[in-house]
Amino acid sequence: MSTEQTAGESTEELNIVRAVTQTLRQEMTRDDSVRLLGYDLGPIGGVYRATEGLVEEFGEDRVIDTPLSENGILGTAVGMAMRGERVVAEIQFMGFFYPAFGQFMYTLAKMYERTGGGIEVPVTIRMPYGGGIKSAEYHSESTETFLVHTPGVRVVCPSTPTETKGLLAASIRHPDPVVFLEPKKIYRGEPEPVPTGEFTRPLDEARIVREGEDVTVLTYGAMVRHAETAADRVDADVEIVDLRTLSPLDVETILASVKKTGRCAILHEARRTLGLGAELSALVNEHAIEYLEAPIKRATGFDVHFPSNQIEDAYVPGPDRATNVIEAVANYEF
Amino acid sequence: MKTWEEQRPSEDFVQRLTPEGTVVGDPPIRDAEQLLAFYRTMVLTRAFEQRMFSMQRRGEISIISRSYGEEAVSLATSAALEAGDWVFPTYRQAPAFVYWGTPLERLITGLMGIEPETVDEHLPIPEGEEPEVNFTPGYIPLGANVTNAVGSAMADTFCDRDVVTMSYIGDGSTSQGDFHDALNFAGVFDAPAVIICQNNQWAISVPAHRQTASETFAQKADAYGIPHERVDGNDVFAVYEKTKEAVDRARNGGGPTFIECVTYRMVEHNTADEESVYRDEREAAYWAERDPLDRLETYLRNEGVLDDETIANIEAEVETEIDAAVENAREVPDSDPMRMFDNHLHGDSWNERRQREELRAELNGENPFLDRDDGGSR
Repeated sequence: MSTEQTAGESTEELNIVRAVTQTLRQEMTRDDSVRLLGYDLGPIGGVYRATEGLVEEFGEDRVIDTPLSENGILGTAVGMAMRGERVVAEIQFMGFFYPAFGQFMYTLAKMYERTGGGIEVPVTIRMPYGGGIKSAEYHSESTETFLVHTPGVRVVCPSTPTETKGLLAASIRHPDPVVFLEPKKIYRGEPEPVPTGEFTRPLDEARIVREGEDVTVLTYGAMVRHAETAADRVDADVEIVDLRTLSPLDVETILASVKKTGRCAILHEARRTLGLGAELSALVNEHAIEYLEAPIKRATGFDVHFPSNQIEDAYVPGPDRATNVIEAVANYEF
Repeated sequence: MKTWEEQRPSEDFVQRLTPEGTVVGDPPIRDAEQLLAFYRTMVLTRAFEQRMFSMQRRGEISIISRSYGEEAVSLATSAALEAGDWVFPTYRQAPAFVYWGTPLERLITGLMGIEPETVDEHLPIPEGEEPEVNFTPGYIPLGANVTNAVGSAMADTFCDRDVVTMSYIGDGSTSQGDFHDALNFAGVFDAPAVIICQNNQWAISVPAHRQTASETFAQKADAYGIPHERVDGNDVFAVYEKTKEAVDRARNGGGPTFIECVTYRMVEHNTADEESVYRDEREAAYWAERDPLDRLETYLRNEGVLDDETIANIEAEVETEIDAAVENAREVPDSDPMRMFDNHLHGDSWNERRQREELRAELNGENPFLDRDDGGSR
């Protein structure tokens, strides 16, 4: 597990996508074995400009524009990582990940285990996820369940620019494969002062966004801000837990919070059935049911394919759905 | 009974050692010691796999895919490599492992289904005695290895290292998307990869002509701008010569090569298969006349390198070696079931700790579903 490093005093105002760029630049400067792999990430700097300027700075052998093949990107990333490189592979949208599922399951997630710990595969897959930006079909997926169900790989999801920088640096430095889910809905909004120097955030540890006594909200990524808005609206003292690492889960922090508040609401954008909320709910049921003063409720996307632009706002949970679920749980009486 | 009709591949390929054991042109290897090593590796591998077949029938190992009849491919291709090179095999490359000195007992324990950690613990390879060529474990999902191999070769390009990566696939693997991804990346990045297609005519029960409408597998490389060769895969000289050229070119910055080795799987796909169900038995006789081991033996006898006595000695030696390896493998204890949790991720997690405890309790005959550490009611 990574140890958190403290950052220097100076800060700069960054949004999430710029925090990604700055982290990639710092990690590439720090370690010559860090290479970026993907398509469109060279001269154009990626469709979201996350790698802007990096090919000019580090050259085409470090910022490698590949053929358009997710499975090829992942398969060659694994081969490079097996030979000592530290690869940051970009999958342009989470909805484009499915062709890479073969390499993901067969090699990336399994190489370390199948070699008895003999071969490490330090690959970080950067992948924008989620809806709310009126994008095209297959661009708005939030199917992290497929990833979380897979052993041998970490799934990390930041919720702020500072978290993005610390968690991405920790992911790149880690010897295990990490899927790093970037909440693209908040790529550019909500900039904040981010420490300028290098720092990491610990993996596998949830973050208490705000402490409260009445109800716990378990959430992550782009939904954290909706939980915060909702917490300001409801007549209850809300504790918000930002999971940060979706796999493996920080179960201790989750259970401690629910045991303290006795009430638990879950907020995520992914589909409900077998979404991460199902696992969170099961964990609380198995290990803290006697503390509960209300049933656990989930505010999520629905069990449908991500809908077309005109109606996608009705799919993605927003502050209102977040408020409703928290109110329902906070006010429930057996 | 419905079987596939017999179809023979074109013999428009590079051949140096004829089925009769005579050489066309100059042999690419003249060193008697190396040729004897080739011969011994083939004899050893064939005897080893035959023993594994017997052990499978007795239930000691679960399954094995033999390289019987196609030994020359992985042997002569891997012999073209040098120390420090990398090999990404599938599952019919035992001769390559044997040639480069992988201890037989480690191959056996792998087939016995022993966890890799247990093997490492009980059959450690002393420092300095590792095979000089780096082998990744074999890959079962077809085509996955060749994409990884190209990534390995790309890493050498970007790091400016004179290392070559070789990978093995079969004719069936060329139908997988991974094959196309790999050749495409290899071509675009001039990766020092030598990709060997061990065209043994059959992907389990589906014949090579059902894998592609291309005239040859070799020509597929044209689509990716990659040089290619088509060689007689039962001919150690042709296979070695063309692979050596490819390896040298890759090492000198000349990029990838794709080599189709035309051979034949003389036996079942694996020990769960029955080849007589689907293929014409006349094929076997045709290919038996082209057996790679017989061919090399005839040549070596003609050259005066081999005689009855030497052959008898080699056969006795390999049996002794196999006996010892089987004995060593049998002494490795069964894997501790708790091993299943090892080496998934560095560090541990709440769920991992908890699930380890559950299994431990279950193995102790306890009920893991009884609450043990949740603190009871408030």
